[in-house]
Amino acid sequence: MATLARGVAVQRSLTDRLRAPRYTGYLLVLPAIVYVLALIGFPLVLGVWYSLTNTTVAEPGHFIGLQNFVDVAKDPTFRLAVRNTLIIGIVATAAKITLSVALAFLMLGAFPGRGIMRILFVLPWTIPIALSTIAYKWMFISQYSVVNWIFIRLGILTDPGINWLGTAVPAMAAVIFVSTWRAVPFGAITVLAGLTAIPTDVIEAARIDGAGWWARFIKVIVPIIAPILFIALLFDLIFTLSELTVVFILTGGGPVDQTQVLANYALQVGVNGTQLGQGAAISLYMFPVLLVLTILSLRHIAKREGM
Amino acid sequence: MIAADATTTGRPVHKKRFMTHAQQGAWTRALLMGIYVAITAFPFYWMFITAFKTNSDLYTLSNNPLWFNELPTFGHVIYLFNSTRFGTWMLNSAIIGVVVVLITLAISTPAGYALARLDLPGANQMGMAIFATYLVPPTLLFIPLTRVVYFLGLQNTIWSLALILPTISIPFAVWLLMGFFKNVPREIEDAGLVDGCSRFQAVMQIVLPISKAGLAAAGMFAFAISLQAFLYPLVFTSSTAVKPVTLGVVTDLVRGDIYYWGELMAGALLAGLPVAILFNVFLDDFVEGITGGAFK
Repeated sequence: MATLARGVAVQRSLTDRLRAPRYTGYLLVLPAIVYVLALIGFPLVLGVWYSLTNTTVAEPGHFIGLQNFVDVAKDPTFRLAVRNTLIIGIVATAAKITLSVALAFLMLGAFPGRGIMRILFVLPWTIPIALSTIAYKWMFISQYSVVNWIFIRLGILTDPGINWLGTAVPAMAAVIFVSTWRAVPFGAITVLAGLTAIPTDVIEAARIDGAGWWARFIKVIVPIIAPILFIALLFDLIFTLSELTVVFILTGGGPVDQTQVLANYALQVGVNGTQLGQGAAISLYMFPVLLVLTILSLRHIAKREGM
Repeated sequence: MIAADATTTGRPVHKKRFMTHAQQGAWTRALLMGIYVAITAFPFYWMFITAFKTNSDLYTLSNNPLWFNELPTFGHVIYLFNSTRFGTWMLNSAIIGVVVVLITLAISTPAGYALARLDLPGANQMGMAIFATYLVPPTLLFIPLTRVVYFLGLQNTIWSLALILPTISIPFAVWLLMGFFKNVPREIEDAGLVDGCSRFQAVMQIVLPISKAGLAAAGMFAFAISLQAFLYPLVFTSSTAVKPVTLGVVTDLVRGDIYYWGELMAGALLAGLPVAILFNVFLDDFVEGITGGAFK
């Protein structure tokens, strides 16, 4: 393997070669840092600058202080967007965590058809979300809704069913459902990985001590899978709060902004409405919340990594 | 559901009852999973059946929507390839995906290796800082990025996406690969060095092959990210000819208020299926990468 290098290499001592020069190390990291600074760091700063100006697509604009943030806060659509973003974030995250844990337990043991079911189980997570959401739109569309057709025949709804995407609460429910549907497989697989790492004798010891299944769950299993669950929860919350695809395709924020979310509203104002400054301000309203969640996540990971 | 513990760790004293209990548990599990999967996989069935139904079958309200009332048709699929740019969109997605994977691996592999193995002061903090940018969502960046892309003259090209999408995959891939490289036993690499390899040779011939699960996971992640992306394609590309398939299908098969559902579902199925299959092939690597690499 090393016949070519051998002749040259023997001249230097082994320890010399084991210790690569420091600048080489930093040089190897440099491209990643440059990429991230140029295309994440810089745009983030630029976005903050835009939010403090009246920049539009056509005009560079000038500094106007916090005027955009003040204007946006008075906007009723913005308020709806904040409310909906929070509702979707909280309800969907709660649903995702509950289902993920339940399904992880379900998949922990062997059962007939496990292989094929696992493939079907991960499907929602593997297909691009834009494509599955368009299928959901077709399932919920007013006149031809197959969801209504099935529910009516099951006796759950009466004819003509629900106008899912045209009514405020059902439209929110549909958005939350699709968001949850998509994320559960990944959550369950992550929790499952955590569960398989629990030594069975720990659970057995608790069982011999007379702990019932609920006590075993709360006192033994939860503390062990809590760290992984906590990180999964924070990550999911960050991405759910900033999500746009489901709302954009399924409802477009409608009916009349009843499912409007911050990301979609920022798009409507900032890109479609060409008001870059105001759009940037709308999305930056999310920043404090996301920052807190990010710091919590990172501290948690740092602790786990022993840093 | 907690019965899972009971079945795997049953007390040996009650061996006979434990067996039947386990079997019962397995069938209950299969049933519950079956119900869950039947509900969550329904949209895929719905895509499939819609894609191959004639329009008159689709839009006759008295028909049973769950099955073919008229003979299946390839009309929607043929329409996609003959009368839309579906083929171009697929090609765009493939090119963007491959370039994003190449950029991601070329930049993340050296960074991940250096941070994990070269004893750089502050390496963990640097790794963490790079990873932190993964948590900056596109929503905060897309408005200023439209100007950056415009400034670079890349607006309305597939290269805008090839350039910007690695910003999502690089931070994650660096973190993932750091975890993988940390797990390569130093002795193996040192053995190579003792053998007379240069450090570079040791990495190329020993460390990378051992970490191929990690590299596959990172590459897979980058590819998935580029196919999943929706917001960036939506704001960076506008012409039909330069759209990736996820965007093309959901925007160009809708004319005004009219949704061409047969074509839409055929497009979603044909674009989504390859991704789903690919994902399934790499799923174990990917899960290992995330759970074993990043969150060990």
